[in-house]
Amino acid sequence: MATRVITRPPTADELMATRASETMEEMYVNMGPQHPSTHGVLRLLLKLDGEIVLDVWPYIGYLHRCHEKIGENREYIQIIPYTDRLDYLASMYNNFGYVHAVEKLAGVTPPERAEYMRVILGELQRIASHLIWLGTFGLDLGNFTIFMWCFREREMVLDLFEQVSGQRLNYSFFRIGGMPMDFPEGWIGDCKAFLEWFKPRLKEYDRLSTDNIIWQKRTQGVGVLTQEDARAYAVSGPMLRSTGIKWDLRRNDPYSIYDRFDFDIPVGERGDVWDRFWVRRREMEESIKIVEQGLRDIPPGPIMAKVPTAIKPPVGHLYSRVESPRGELGDYIVSDGSKRPYRYKVRSPAYVNLSAISVMLPGCLVADAVAVLGSIDIVLGEVDR
Amino acid sequence: MAEAAKGAHKAETAPPRMAEAEGTPEAKAFLEALRAKVGDAILEARTRGREVVAQVRPDRNVEVAQALYDMGLEYLNCLCGLDWVAQNRLEVVYNVSSLSHPVKVEMKVFVPRDDPRVRTVVPIWTGANWHERETYDLFGVVFEGHPDLRRILLPEDWMGYPLRKDYEDERMPRFDAAEKKRRARLFSRDAEAPAEGEEK
Repeated sequence: MATRVITRPPTADELMATRASETMEEMYVNMGPQHPSTHGVLRLLLKLDGEIVLDVWPYIGYLHRCHEKIGENREYIQIIPYTDRLDYLASMYNNFGYVHAVEKLAGVTPPERAEYMRVILGELQRIASHLIWLGTFGLDLGNFTIFMWCFREREMVLDLFEQVSGQRLNYSFFRIGGMPMDFPEGWIGDCKAFLEWFKPRLKEYDRLSTDNIIWQKRTQGVGVLTQEDARAYAVSGPMLRSTGIKWDLRRNDPYSIYDRFDFDIPVGERGDVWDRFWVRRREMEESIKIVEQGLRDIPPGPIMAKVPTAIKPPVGHLYSRVESPRGELGDYIVSDGSKRPYRYKVRSPAYVNLSAISVMLPGCLVADAVAVLGSIDIVLGEVDR
Repeated sequence: MAEAAKGAHKAETAPPRMAEAEGTPEAKAFLEALRAKVGDAILEARTRGREVVAQVRPDRNVEVAQALYDMGLEYLNCLCGLDWVAQNRLEVVYNVSSLSHPVKVEMKVFVPRDDPRVRTVVPIWTGANWHERETYDLFGVVFEGHPDLRRILLPEDWMGYPLRKDYEDERMPRFDAAEKKRRARLFSRDAEAPAEGEEK
């Protein structure tokens, strides 16, 4: 338990005192908010002893834009475009989580074909999100080539999304009750062609990452998160699975139609940076499997349920969760029976995962701080909301 | 302040109602076991699906939280605040579940709006740290015993608690009634819809 004691950051006086001390045994260093490997604007205040990190205090909120307050002042359907901007690298999944919560609250069941479309787009989004993670993580470790390669394939996924929704990043493509448009003609063929192209690419990435001795040395045994800490901090997603806990909401609390798909849940062993990488790397393969099954089984039919234009869910409250690429994306919605939610709270996975950095980083070298931070896969749009 | 409260939804004058779906046998058994442990701290509880929804006395929240933890719910999904301005009280909601247990619990605590204080659950669920800081930041709920209760999303010198329904920022532009009406229509898809506050 000793590792989980929450400490206060130093006061201004303490900071001045360390600066004045001649020995400089302990030093405070700011990392960020403008730092290439913080993936946005995050400030970490590090307490160092030489090159060893003793403690860390993250400062967030630089991108805070009152997502929840805005949500309280918009109609249910008007919130969908705002959810895109939460985790802007996985917009489809943010749409998914939000519309799923409202549908549960309002008692709407989307048609079969819409559910399949959601799963296919959601899993493609997971691939794109993990690709951008792998690329930027490679960049953090100094491997520039993998960054270019991952972005090349990610751009193909974005092209597929653009064909469907007309947007590259902020799709707003999900509706409460279904989907607004069907896949365009020939899209399923394009998607299959992409998957065929993509499968051998994973092996190529392996040559740059998995089989790369520098990559292994930089990641193995670094930033270990134990199962107890993962539970205590309620860490979710690939970070939780990397500690060896087999927990995936798609399997353990199935939503939408995920119970119909056959896929594995990759888990790690030690919970270090390597395991987090390896879990995400293998998750891409599982996502390919799900997309292939979805494309095979997708039935014809309507894509939109009959819902009123102004949705007024009955009075009530609900916490709904989905497995976004980063972990458990929860939406807590309180309805007072009107057109607008009375309270709309987003439990963003990156926010919770980032809070666990205070047990992962102490004891690491400064040079590894970047690797540990990169392995959490934070998106500041979602952390700060 | 009064004006903002008037503009808020009318339906909030009704007490918050809990949804009435039937609970699973596991959830019912869990609630019975919880009642046996800390029954006197629970004001109202029901089950819906796999979830137990329990309203708890604000001075006993840590006790109930410890009981939940001991019963296997080690995973704090979410902790958030809620402002019931018409009833002059704030609510703190704890969504708790487990990675091995099928039951989920939603624990609710109501505190007065002018002196919102509850005890912290950080010693039980460490992950509550940032959630409690956020609730303090945006609603002004003071978590007694929290090791590091600072604002988290807003700057340290921010005044007020923005997610409270009557929050007003002096730097925001002020509109008269006609302009408010026009803007409400602007953001409503239905041009004929009455402006906010005139509904129903």
